[in-house]
Amino acid sequence: MSVPENAYDQLQAIHHPPTTFISKYIWSGDHKIIAKQFLWGGLIFLLLGGLQAMLIRWQWSAPGQPVPVLGQIFFSDSGGVITPGHYTSLFTSHGLIMIFWAITPMMIGAFGNLTIPIMIGARDMAFPTLNTLSFWTWALSGVMVLTSFMVPYGTAAAGWTTYPPLSGNAGTPGWGQSIFVLAIFTTGSATIMGAINYTTTVIRLRAPGMTWGRLPLTVWGQFLTAVLNILFVPVLAGGAALLLLDRWFGTSFYVAGALAGEGAGDPILFQHLFWIFGHPEVYILILPAWGFVGDFVSFFSRKPAYWYKGSVWAMTIVTIMSAVVYGHHMYTTGMAPLLGKSFMLLTLIISVPAEVLFLNWLHTIYHGSMRKTVPMMFALGTIFVFGSGGLTGLPLATISTDLYLHATMFVVGHFHLTMASAAFLGTFGAIYFWFPKMFGCLMNDRLARLHFWFSFIGLNGVFIGQMISGYAGQPRRLYDPFQYAFTEQLLGINQITSYFAFFLAVGQIFFVINWFQHVFKKNPTCEQNPWQVGTLEWSVPNPLPVYNFAKIPIVTCGPHEYSNPECIENLGKDWQGQWENLDGSEPVLPTLPASHSHGHHAAEEDVSDAKTDESVGEE
Amino acid sequence: MDLIERLQVNWYRLGAALVLCGLPLDVFAAVEKETGLDMPRDVSLDGHRITWLINITMVFLMILFVLMIIWMAIAMFKHDESHPAHYDHGDAGKQIAVAMSISAVIFLVVDGNLYINSMVDLDEVFWNFKDVENNPDTVRIEVNAHQWAWDARYVGPDGEWNTADDAITLNDLRVPVNKPVLINLTSTDVIHALNLPNFRVKTDAVPGRVAPIHFQAVETGEFDIACAEHCGAFHYKMKGKLTVLTQEEFDAWLAEVSHQSALAYNPDDADAHWGWPWKEM
Repeated sequence: MSVPENAYDQLQAIHHPPTTFISKYIWSGDHKIIAKQFLWGGLIFLLLGGLQAMLIRWQWSAPGQPVPVLGQIFFSDSGGVITPGHYTSLFTSHGLIMIFWAITPMMIGAFGNLTIPIMIGARDMAFPTLNTLSFWTWALSGVMVLTSFMVPYGTAAAGWTTYPPLSGNAGTPGWGQSIFVLAIFTTGSATIMGAINYTTTVIRLRAPGMTWGRLPLTVWGQFLTAVLNILFVPVLAGGAALLLLDRWFGTSFYVAGALAGEGAGDPILFQHLFWIFGHPEVYILILPAWGFVGDFVSFFSRKPAYWYKGSVWAMTIVTIMSAVVYGHHMYTTGMAPLLGKSFMLLTLIISVPAEVLFLNWLHTIYHGSMRKTVPMMFALGTIFVFGSGGLTGLPLATISTDLYLHATMFVVGHFHLTMASAAFLGTFGAIYFWFPKMFGCLMNDRLARLHFWFSFIGLNGVFIGQMISGYAGQPRRLYDPFQYAFTEQLLGINQITSYFAFFLAVGQIFFVINWFQHVFKKNPTCEQNPWQVGTLEWSVPNPLPVYNFAKIPIVTCGPHEYSNPECIENLGKDWQGQWENLDGSEPVLPTLPASHSHGHHAAEEDVSDAKTDESVGEE
Repeated sequence: MDLIERLQVNWYRLGAALVLCGLPLDVFAAVEKETGLDMPRDVSLDGHRITWLINITMVFLMILFVLMIIWMAIAMFKHDESHPAHYDHGDAGKQIAVAMSISAVIFLVVDGNLYINSMVDLDEVFWNFKDVENNPDTVRIEVNAHQWAWDARYVGPDGEWNTADDAITLNDLRVPVNKPVLINLTSTDVIHALNLPNFRVKTDAVPGRVAPIHFQAVETGEFDIACAEHCGAFHYKMKGKLTVLTQEEFDAWLAEVSHQSALAYNPDDADAHWGWPWKEM
């Protein structure tokens, strides 16, 4: 059966470009504008969360000393000194803000929105209005977070994990904690809206020929992340809702001991609900980065991604297994031995797909022809920090070793290397790579390289430093970590670690300068395909027109066709666009046997729907 | 017994108690400080198992990490722009077999070593509560955590928990050397965690649940008790002291504290009766 020539173009109508300021920049259904909104929002919260990190680092290198400059602004009531109360709020909101209001909007909100349609050859998301609602729901939750700082008793202070009973009314009184939990619930709703949109778009709107086996790894990462979000954010939302019932209506789902009236609940119930979301969450925050890295190492080594199918399977298996390893966060709660040991084995097994992924990246850059571009440096940096962070997860996965390492700074260093540093470097690599697609020009190379080296050295210094002090026994979340005889000597390593943190912070200035020099450019100029890569978004101009593709492309090959001798000979370049035939001929729509593959199947259904609904095309 | 007489007795007893055990230790043997970036001194019978397993795993991880860096360095500096890229999708059967074999070897050696040793250590020691419970020498302590202190209770001569003759202390655990110690741990208000870095163990104190933790000291001395779960603004101040005594010192101390606690016992003070019937696991 052959498909009518223009069926795909008629299925996704070309939008009229918005005319008013509001419809263009505020209430826009355009995935590219929403991506920019999420990026701006995420960067602002990243600045806030980063500032909080610096204050925490100050406290750990000079406990109880007045904070220079910032202290007079934020802690004027205590003479510039961070008090124990301030400190608990700082590390609590630092964690929550970074996860839900910085990394999630930048990595998933911005780059999920930007890359999915343009990499699969769609004109927009499947549900543009839901997309708009997702952003504004997230923005509302952001306002709630900022509000929580201004109410009496201050913002949330029960740790980012929000364990009850500490997060209950008796442990953390006041509206700040309640508003923050409500904000988590709200941003969770925004995430679910986005995730439904992403999965639907990937399943239904792939261009003809864009089979599952030809999807860029970036799209795979975003797709699997969206699946995890759909499955597990509702659990978090449920857990948060019960906590709010405890706080507001005097129920006792999570209250036990002296605080409970009649009918005590169980604080451990919350931990199960929290971590069955919380462990997938770390993969939610790393899968998109794995996708970027998988693509970038191939693009800039000018070499096909090594064992693409293996990488896809590895990411898929990690996605599935992420739901059955969460118990390793709870080894010290006195869990049943059989349960604990099962979680231990499963946690160790999940390292296998991660190893496959690593080997594939390393094999991809080996015998390549590496171009050390800025996005490539960020991708290599991601591999480096994720390597050290991932490896150090092993002694935390087994119970006996965790009895010593649990709740030390070793854990803090480990998870900051994986889900913070790797997510940070991956996201900034993506910003530099897709900047022409968003803003029409490339960022300054020299500033970007300075930004990379300051960030890379800073991140490693900070979090390796934290692992060293954690190995020596320093517990996490201590206002003054040097209270104990076994931690007193660790002031020195903490001060060195803080210097690395301040170095990291200074390095961000290069990004800020670079950003403001380029985002508002009046007439940005950039060649259409500055990186010489073959994924679909580089077949159309920079910045993208509202409809992305004037004609929906026909996909002819996988996303990583580099240095193919036949291609070099026929096309005179070392890369093959996914929209090109090797012999230089015009791609034609694939003929579709009734049961060829899943991807073709979906496309076939699309077309038959279109025929009955709108009677388009010719017989 | 009138008030004056009671006070006199108390003063006498208190003075004796201080001289007998508390005072000399407090003056001459403060908690020993650590130096360097190594783990705190291990003074437990079994902590070396954890220390060894963490350290051997660190060695494995260092080797893997260095191999990764060398591999990346070769790719970056030898396989750069001047090096022609191989057109290779890496999906031949042999290549997949190699990748899977490398992963399998790493998994079996590094993860396998961790898994087997951790299982053995848990079954033999750390989650083996039966042997400790059945050991006639075991010292049992009930610990009740609350913001921001550790209440401890030792059973008195009557052998019944939560009675007038129980020895009660605050932020002050004392145990005999070379004897297994078994703790029943809970919390009154929020979640805390009893952290004994010199013994390589910690367990959460969860309201509404009683959790076990056990260890055996092999040296006398004083050691820090820390809280390992964020429990409010003064979490960092939730510090106790664990003193390891000789059996004779411990017996004398326990008898004295039990006696003092009995004298101070007030049947109307509900807050003081926080003990519970001992819970075997």
